[in-house]
Amino acid sequence: MRTVIQALSLLFFSILFFLATYELPDWLPADIYLRLDPLLGMNAVFAAREVINRALWSLVTIGATLVIGRFFCAYVCPMGVSIDFLELLFFRKKKRSGLKWELHLRRVKYYLLIIFIVAALIGLSVVFLMDPMSLLTRFYTFFIYPLVITLVNFILDLLRPLFIALGWTNLSYLHYFQSVYYMSAITLLIFGGIIFLNRLVSRFWCRYLCPLGAFLSLLSPLGLFKRRVSEECNECLKCQKSCPMGAIPEDPRATHLPECIQCRTCAKVCPQNAITFPASLSSIGGEYSTINFSRRGFLYSLAGGVGVGFLATQTPFTLRQSKFQLIRPPGAIPETEFLRTCIRCGECMKSCLTNTLQPCLWESGFSGLWTPKMDLRLAPCDQNCNVCGKVCPTQAIRSVSLDEKTHAKVGTAILRKEMCLVWAQNKLCLICDEICPYNAIVFRPVEGFRRPFVIASKCNGCGFCEQRCPVKGESAIVVVPDGEIRLKKGSFITEAKRLQLEFKPDPGDDKYILEESGFKMEDRKGEEKVSPTEKPQPKKPKGFL
Amino acid sequence: MNKHNQMVTRRTFLKTAMVGATLALSRNPPFLQAREEYDLAVISGEPVAATKKALEAIGGISHFVKKGQRVILKPNMSFTRTPEFGATTHPLVVATVAQGCMNAGAQQVLVLDHTLHRPELCLERTGIRDACKNIPGVHVLTLQERKFFQEIKIPQGKALERVEVMKEILDSSTILINIPVAKSHSATGVSMGIKGLMGLIWDRESFHSRYNMNQALADLASVIKPQLTILDATRALTSGGPGGPGTVTKPNLVIAGIDPVAVDSYGVSIVPWYGQNFKGRQVEHLLITHQRGLGKIDIDQLKIFKEKV
Repeated sequence: MRTVIQALSLLFFSILFFLATYELPDWLPADIYLRLDPLLGMNAVFAAREVINRALWSLVTIGATLVIGRFFCAYVCPMGVSIDFLELLFFRKKKRSGLKWELHLRRVKYYLLIIFIVAALIGLSVVFLMDPMSLLTRFYTFFIYPLVITLVNFILDLLRPLFIALGWTNLSYLHYFQSVYYMSAITLLIFGGIIFLNRLVSRFWCRYLCPLGAFLSLLSPLGLFKRRVSEECNECLKCQKSCPMGAIPEDPRATHLPECIQCRTCAKVCPQNAITFPASLSSIGGEYSTINFSRRGFLYSLAGGVGVGFLATQTPFTLRQSKFQLIRPPGAIPETEFLRTCIRCGECMKSCLTNTLQPCLWESGFSGLWTPKMDLRLAPCDQNCNVCGKVCPTQAIRSVSLDEKTHAKVGTAILRKEMCLVWAQNKLCLICDEICPYNAIVFRPVEGFRRPFVIASKCNGCGFCEQRCPVKGESAIVVVPDGEIRLKKGSFITEAKRLQLEFKPDPGDDKYILEESGFKMEDRKGEEKVSPTEKPQPKKPKGFL
Repeated sequence: MNKHNQMVTRRTFLKTAMVGATLALSRNPPFLQAREEYDLAVISGEPVAATKKALEAIGGISHFVKKGQRVILKPNMSFTRTPEFGATTHPLVVATVAQGCMNAGAQQVLVLDHTLHRPELCLERTGIRDACKNIPGVHVLTLQERKFFQEIKIPQGKALERVEVMKEILDSSTILINIPVAKSHSATGVSMGIKGLMGLIWDRESFHSRYNMNQALADLASVIKPQLTILDATRALTSGGPGGPGTVTKPNLVIAGIDPVAVDSYGVSIVPWYGQNFKGRQVEHLLITHQRGLGKIDIDQLKIFKEKV
């Protein structure tokens, strides 16, 4: 029964994960697991110092835990499911003696919880390091997702001759776009480490480390369902040995309530059928329902939290935050707030249609770890897609309409003349002009050649030019953060208009081609006029004789 | 590779008028059958009606598509632009041709392109997938992976010696119908049928960066020979091409012909490009293609069927 629910939960999580892509319907909250995570929500709210609507969903989890107990870990948590299932696979037959420092280790998760909360209050939520939902989504994004695509394409390739023979046309040509990410290996190592810890003791992560588990366990002793052992008990201690959480103490009739995740494994193994989980409003209290941590440990972790929070926010990177060549996704809120709000789940990078969104490693220090950046040399930002904002569980990237997103300028393209084939080598190249969706690149005659210029007020930083530039290595035209529009509230369109920017597919700046071809046209008012000082080389538009 | 040898052979035979022997070996070269009276059909009207009439005027679709044959349509659906931008082929023109092919008994119709922008969005925005959705036997696909391409030699290549093309068009029993849109192009002047062939190859980038593009296009035209070219000039993107945005005019024409150079050349003449009138001869890649003996470029020497529907 529990296994079925767990499997369904993991399946649901995976389906939602894979659905988080273009074109995500507005009604589908693909990020629901992340929204339901109270720890992520709470920390983001603390760090951002304001209520985040989507984080309010986690009140459901809090409420349910208050009523039922710490069921989340045993039934819902996809990380718990992964741990359980992989444990079955790898460590079922391994002999694992309990750990000596069991009691001390148990406290670690509470210390971590305190550290994370205090750090968030200080100014940066670092809970992304260890929150299971964030961790697992990240693992899915950077490892599972590319792996699944590879496998699916491999299978499709194997079966392709069959599809062709059967005349299944669509399948014969089916191929999925292979996303690639930086930091896949690191993410795998972290996840692998968590799984490997089960070698020592079952659910090592949940017992000792998981800060979400710690938070839920604080709420759980109030819950309705509690383990009860009847008189039938013959103290065979089978339940104690089988409890995945180690929640049964020396006396098998008692239960460490905060540790009990109500998985009912004990009830299943009990030869006497002495264990039940009745609903009762019975006593809270007693030695087994309190959380046993020392005052010293508490103080240390408070200090640790202050330390982590301080370190995370006070690095040279903080001061230079806006001075980095870091292009954030369109709709990202201002950098300081962005770093505080982003939970580094990687959902935006998964959903990104073109694969331009990539995780930061150290580009903006520790505080920027795993945050999304646009790698525009790798891929441009498709102008018809706004899915990254839609799936952001904390709205560090705002969910905005396509039109708004178009105006959420992420930067401005600049031409590096020393690298540009036209400027440096007088070659005939105009790929940037050709590919630009907003005609932000124009050609003007300079020294007898038509040479490209960027009209900054028409460039929203989509990066098509940077990606397509045929220069090997670094592009000769790159998008820099200059001119980016980052708004926490309000309309990007209004702001762009105020700044006199226009990102319209607006025809008509081929006028230089026209002038060169000797075709008379009216001057457009308000636009700068460049009169060719030397006679333009190609007399006709390119391609005509 | 054999196929190309055959093609060369055919061309040689053609010149020496020894047609009969090759007919059995190579695919049906429709222009040898000389049943149609006209080189070009130029029909003015709404997309569907004009396309139907154009097909009819050029000899009827069943003249090109035989029962059980597989047909490949190559529209331009390379950009995530809606039809009014004029950067992609009108969906109704494509759907009408596709329907015509199925009516003529085609086994299946593949509508193929290797797109520049993200394929799922191209299929969606251009409206071509939707337009063909309800026609049984018609599949609209983009081939973006190298595994769907195969390298072939270009025996008469000047700029290109070899090129990787979609495997599908190499099957000699397959009919290829090119359905370009009439648009300007910032590197080649105009982009119509001949330039549209670039949607059938794998490495589009190096055409721009490495080769003399106009020569390379003529090379490509010497190995990829659509049986029919239907130019969608219902709209013409007369500046800002190939991707737009730019000036879109409405010539409301559909131009069909067997000779790819003739179709393009006529297309050049119908509207001013970048505000200037040009002839086909003034478009470098068309002129080169013509000079290689791959088609007629002077439209006043063509027999043209004109009608308004």
